[in-house]
Amino acid sequence: MFKFVSNFMRSMVNETVDKAIERLARDQYTENLFEMMPVSKKVNPINLIELVMRSRKGQPPGRPLGTHMRFSPWDKLLFNPVHLYRFPTPEDVGISTAVTIGKRARNPLTISIPIMIAGMSYGGALSKKAKIALAQAATRIGTATNTGEAGLMEEEREAADLLIGQYNRGGWLNTPDKYMQLDAIEIQLGQGAQGSTPQRTPAKNIGREYHEVFEIPKGEDALIHSRLPGVDTKEQFISLVRKLKEETGVPVGLKIAATHHLEKELQIALEAEVDFITVDGAEGGTHAAAPILEDDVGLPTMYAVSRAARFLSRKGATGDVSLIATGGLVTPGDYLKALALGADAVYIGTTAVMALVGDQMTRAMPFEPPTDLVVYQAKMTDKLDLERGATSLFNYLNASSREMELVCYTLGKTSVSDVNREDLCCLDPFLARAIGVELAFISPEEQSEYFEGLPEMAHEQVNRQPESYTQHPLH
Amino acid sequence: MDKQQTSLNDTLSYIHSELNRVQTIAGTLSTSESKHYKELTDMGDDRLNQIANEEQNAARQLGEVKQICINLVQKVEDIKNQYKQQESPDR
Repeated sequence: MFKFVSNFMRSMVNETVDKAIERLARDQYTENLFEMMPVSKKVNPINLIELVMRSRKGQPPGRPLGTHMRFSPWDKLLFNPVHLYRFPTPEDVGISTAVTIGKRARNPLTISIPIMIAGMSYGGALSKKAKIALAQAATRIGTATNTGEAGLMEEEREAADLLIGQYNRGGWLNTPDKYMQLDAIEIQLGQGAQGSTPQRTPAKNIGREYHEVFEIPKGEDALIHSRLPGVDTKEQFISLVRKLKEETGVPVGLKIAATHHLEKELQIALEAEVDFITVDGAEGGTHAAAPILEDDVGLPTMYAVSRAARFLSRKGATGDVSLIATGGLVTPGDYLKALALGADAVYIGTTAVMALVGDQMTRAMPFEPPTDLVVYQAKMTDKLDLERGATSLFNYLNASSREMELVCYTLGKTSVSDVNREDLCCLDPFLARAIGVELAFISPEEQSEYFEGLPEMAHEQVNRQPESYTQHPLH
Repeated sequence: MDKQQTSLNDTLSYIHSELNRVQTIAGTLSTSESKHYKELTDMGDDRLNQIANEEQNAARQLGEVKQICINLVQKVEDIKNQYKQQESPDR
């Protein structure tokens, strides 16, 4: 019986493929289905489907989880192992992974690994179960989780040993009864995936518990304003920071979407005496945003971290003001490279959610996306096994920390905090120069000599291009 | 006043030495947890592997305890120095 069905299926497939190839070969190219191949390569499949979405609804599609582009060239950086010049760390020595955020605060925040769970809001993005699972995993590993732009959810507060709350543009966490319960306050003025653009969750998507946590009257939309309510001048921002520091004693920081105006923004943050700064690169994720905001706005995470770290160093604020990097960091290698460039810790969002779903993705796939298990009011939200999700994320964080520790052994370092730019080499001369990492092509002694000639070479290259273009035989 | 300051100094010295002790204990326990991790992963059992992960994490968190102790010792030192500085102009 099985053999009969198998033979039947084989002949069906054979016949279909034959007919398809015959048609592709016969039909005029302009009327050929194969046209989709070069078109989708030209437009790219993501843009193709998104333009179809735009043409269907007449509104920007809300793409989940941020840009698909990897702006930051993390793969252009490699760590430098040591053998004799400096000796590797003996295997019986433990690698310290603990980090303190906001050392100047009255109650600094110490986490056992330099990886934290990024701000992903209940309701605006994730379900209550998912938020609790994130908090449980963070607590088990000894790190902090972040409320995102939301109200204070009691269950999340209970599950999280260390909770960073976003003083947000929706205003849902901005009263003392809420922010006094936090272990750190992050004033959220923007995010990598959307800059400082306003956002709206329509009333029809807001459930009963969402109303309670956010304290939004029934029938009203949830609005994230482009400006923080009450902060329309630099002075108002400075006094807000000082007020929160004075009232709470916990680290008070600023989160912004990374931008080419970075140093100007950070200067004001320093004047306000923030305890930490979170730079969210252009690769940052989100629940949903217009593709233009995700693909065409902001500054890549790598450049943002490097520039912010150098700025803090120039201002003599390194160590006093902690730097948190986030946005599109996917692998333990990315995390450690961000630390080497000057970050004190990293936030992970998309990766944390994927790790949380873990092998439970089989419950949703192949007919629904895996994130349906964690998104607020999605089709599969109820199917998430909270305990299993927390364990999956805990395991992921443990494995990632271990991988970072393994690199520390070969670098001859005893703490992840000790890893710095000198532990890296770079595979691109311009990038090397920009981020202050030595170029891998040549020895450390030859770096200056090599780069001395580089501006002239670059200048020649730029000047030569128009000339060669005009002299081209075809023109 | 002098008596009060001596008492405060003694208390700070006591906290300092106890923190050093906690730091040493955390270090010892961390080593022991790391050993357990290795032994448990040798068994090749999924449940034991999960416990091993917890042990590895415990070792790491004890490292964090050490870090906290170091930070606190620093704070205690700062307080002691502040008091010393306050004392010296009078004398």
